[in-house]
Amino acid sequence: MTKTPLIRPCTLVWLILLALTGLTWFIGESGITGMAIVGFVLATTLFKSQMVVDYFMGLKHVRAAWRGLLFGYLLLVCGMIGVAYYISLT
Amino acid sequence: MTTSRKHDAGGLPGDFAIWIFIFAELLVFGVFFLAYAFSRANNVELFNESQLHLNRIAGAANTVVLLTSSYFVVRAVAAIRADNARRCGHWLLSAIGMGSVFLVIKMFEFGEKFSAGISLSTNTFFMFYLSLTFFHFMHVILGIVILAAVLLKARSGGYSAANHTGVETGASYWHMVDLVWLILFPLVYVIH
Repeated sequence: MTKTPLIRPCTLVWLILLALTGLTWFIGESGITGMAIVGFVLATTLFKSQMVVDYFMGLKHVRAAWRGLLFGYLLLVCGMIGVAYYISLT
Repeated sequence: MTTSRKHDAGGLPGDFAIWIFIFAELLVFGVFFLAYAFSRANNVELFNESQLHLNRIAGAANTVVLLTSSYFVVRAVAAIRADNARRCGHWLLSAIGMGSVFLVIKMFEFGEKFSAGISLSTNTFFMFYLSLTFFHFMHVILGIVILAAVLLKARSGGYSAANHTGVETGASYWHMVDLVWLILFPLVYVIH
């Protein structure tokens, strides 16, 4: 007999995404800043975006090249935003 | 959870043509984001001071709204895969409703800015803020139109468990609109 999960996987992903959005908003409201904080915000953004790609778009199990292409895009964009922020500090 | 059917293009869900469109859109938004980030690097004080005028609560609320609408679309795809077109239609209608809430919140934000005398020519920050968010706003409208077309076809019995490429195509576009906002929100509203 198949065991029914307590919560649907997509519902769990949605709740995690909402929680991380709340965290990002809180960081903005608190006024704390600096390279480490911005790095954390960008890492959170990368994680959230990849969750949308994997579990909402449904690319978790497609050919690795497609998933890699989107991850590469997200990594490049978030990484370059981090580089631009670093430049602004120097 | 969306688990894509295997198509010729390596399993990408929906029509492959929408993925060409999605990659092109992501490229354009990516260039826009980096243009903002590097312009900010050269005008840090101006960007930080101008950012204080943004309504961060509205930005966060819109992130929640878009994530929720994307979740509803995931449920719509799952419903049609289970051959339940009626339930698929309900989830799609809910997603369209949330998309409409996004538009209302964004129009409220635009109204706030315009009534404060802020326009594209106010400064570089607001030029980016207004053009980036308006460009995304137009994509939300297009996404709602696509979801509405999918909804009409689902309600008229046009999709089934065996044939629902159209639902996956519309879903993929809508998730792209959500994905772009997930980067836009921290970039424009949070990072300072």
